[in-house]
Amino acid sequence: MSDMEYESEEEYEYTYSDEDESQASYSSHAMDDSASLEMETEVEEGSKKRKSRGRTSSLGDAVMKDTNGITMMNAKDILPMMKERINEVSEILNIPPSAATPLLRSHKWTKERLFESFTEDDGKIKKDAGVYHRCMPVSTEETNTCIICFESDISKEQMVGMPCGHSFCIECWKGHIQAKLDDGPSCIFAQCPYPKCEEVMTEVEVKKAAPELLEKYESYQLKQFVEVNGTSRWCPGPGCERVAALQNGSGLLDDSNLIVADCDSCKTKFCIKCGEEPHAPLLCRALDIWKEKCNNESETANWILANTKPCPKCRSRIEKNQGCNHMTCQKCKYEFCWICTGEWKEHGANTGGYYNCNKFAQEKNKDEDQSDAAKAKRELDRYLHYYSRYHAHSEAQKFASRQLADTEKKMVALQERRDNSTWTDVEFLKSANEQLVECRRVLKFTYAFGYYLTTPPKTVAPVEAVAKDEDSKKAKKKSKEDKQEEDKDEEPKPKTQQELQKERFEYHQEMLERFTENLSELVEKPLDDIDREAVVNQTIVVNRFMKGMIKYVEDGMEEGA
Amino acid sequence: MSLKRINKELVDLGKDPPANCSAGPVGDDMFHWQATIMGPDDSPYSGGVFFLDIHFPADYPFKPPKVHFTTRIYHCNINSNGGICLDILKDQWSPALTISKVLLSICSLLTDPNPDDPLVPDIAQLLKTDRQRHDSTAREWTSKYAM
Repeated sequence: MSDMEYESEEEYEYTYSDEDESQASYSSHAMDDSASLEMETEVEEGSKKRKSRGRTSSLGDAVMKDTNGITMMNAKDILPMMKERINEVSEILNIPPSAATPLLRSHKWTKERLFESFTEDDGKIKKDAGVYHRCMPVSTEETNTCIICFESDISKEQMVGMPCGHSFCIECWKGHIQAKLDDGPSCIFAQCPYPKCEEVMTEVEVKKAAPELLEKYESYQLKQFVEVNGTSRWCPGPGCERVAALQNGSGLLDDSNLIVADCDSCKTKFCIKCGEEPHAPLLCRALDIWKEKCNNESETANWILANTKPCPKCRSRIEKNQGCNHMTCQKCKYEFCWICTGEWKEHGANTGGYYNCNKFAQEKNKDEDQSDAAKAKRELDRYLHYYSRYHAHSEAQKFASRQLADTEKKMVALQERRDNSTWTDVEFLKSANEQLVECRRVLKFTYAFGYYLTTPPKTVAPVEAVAKDEDSKKAKKKSKEDKQEEDKDEEPKPKTQQELQKERFEYHQEMLERFTENLSELVEKPLDDIDREAVVNQTIVVNRFMKGMIKYVEDGMEEGA
Repeated sequence: MSLKRINKELVDLGKDPPANCSAGPVGDDMFHWQATIMGPDDSPYSGGVFFLDIHFPADYPFKPPKVHFTTRIYHCNINSNGGICLDILKDQWSPALTISKVLLSICSLLTDPNPDDPLVPDIAQLLKTDRQRHDSTAREWTSKYAM
């Protein structure tokens, strides 16, 4: 269990506690008062939907690690699950297991679905699955001629028959099975070698005719089971053969929440629903649409967004090869923000300002020009605004990943430099770097999310909850809007629900960006200047904030304040 | 295995040749054959002699032979390169099928084109809308290229 307090006023403090971890605290000055939040975390085992109460909004383990009902296992460990389903169906329908397998296969390995269609027309279902004769075998014709090789004096032992009555010599069976295995995963759908016979070949024939190929054949059966049963997914890590299985819940097709699998073998983190890298707060479907859009528009975008930017002051071309967005021109020493190319001074907490560069200023485009060309231009600008930031964080994520690979060297160096320090004393660097990679990844997807947050609703609604909660929130919003109108006379139009959500979302995004930049800067300092405590604290803060933000989106962006 | 089986097919073709068809190796290479099909009488290809090229894969008969026309033919399931759209030459291939059976299937494809699964959509379209014009063009091509 962990608690977190997040108090407002001039200064607020995070306290973090864990059973066996020491207390750590963090304080930061000067944050906009109106934006202050009070948050409290309650981690309730097994429950992902938590309600926010009054002024408190719950922040919890929104990005779920290992404890999401996901079990990582070897492919062969999932075999009992497959066998269990086969045997159950075999018993209930009173058919051989070799017939149950293709039947389950044609029903996405769902017993219920199979039983349901079985009651309607079992003959058709059996024919479609290619097991009609396997359920009702016909007597095999006694023959000593193989119709494949035309040999005519083959002994009875050398002939292997199918339940449909067709039999072939073992040698020809071997050739047939090998040719089907050469076709790859589709071999499990291979049919009887007899022309136009639709009875499927199964492990029974493979075992009889080519036992040396059985292992390979069964591995394809298992592979198909893992991919199709709707509760498991292969780890996408290169060369990794672990399987992530979802133990409960509505399966992989349910796109309403995100569950991250964390491979215990190759350490790859991936979304179990779609197999992509974790992409919270974006849902799988929205990610799909975003990726397609980026593919379609990448040429334009790449043309406009070169990999270098000119220094805003001296125009020297600058290539960003460090993770932090705080740039200093080597030529003129001008400090600026890589994302918006604005002066860095205006970004610091010291001046009271903070990250403004994550907001896309619609005002810029408030032209009266309604021509199609102008609309298209505005739409492209809007896309580019989000894409450029998505891209920037994506690059920063890659950089942070590369840096993570070098961290061990850095840790060794750091340990040598500091007397009496142990390996655990320098491990904070690794966790900080891991956190950076994660933050960059989340930030990256917040821009894809942000893009769809302001798209006309027709295109896509990444968060179903947004629409769902709309009505219930309207009343509440109304009074707020009225109040705003009184306060600000110069603003004639009250803000819509969408605009308010966008504002709040961007606030969270901005904070996360700011915390991440802080951490990035702390970690990139020369070894001698690295402040362990600061890094440790900032890592915890960033982690909490990141999870909080994802949770906030997951809960339909309901604000406690 | 492949060579033995191809040899047997050659012997059987000699003993019991299919109607209107013939086939045999081009030279010494038993895996490369040439075949001829006489245009069926009840089709616009009647009177034409069509040549085909046959290549047997190394794992024949477990993989289908590669068959294509070398004579130009106006047919919605045969394209200008001589490629044939026929299920038994693709996913419906069975190792129990033979060149003799394949050639007979191609013969019946000449008699009964399948415009619902066309390789050349324009020809299929014409076949469906104006059978007479389709047949006269097919006859024209037959006398131009296959006689």
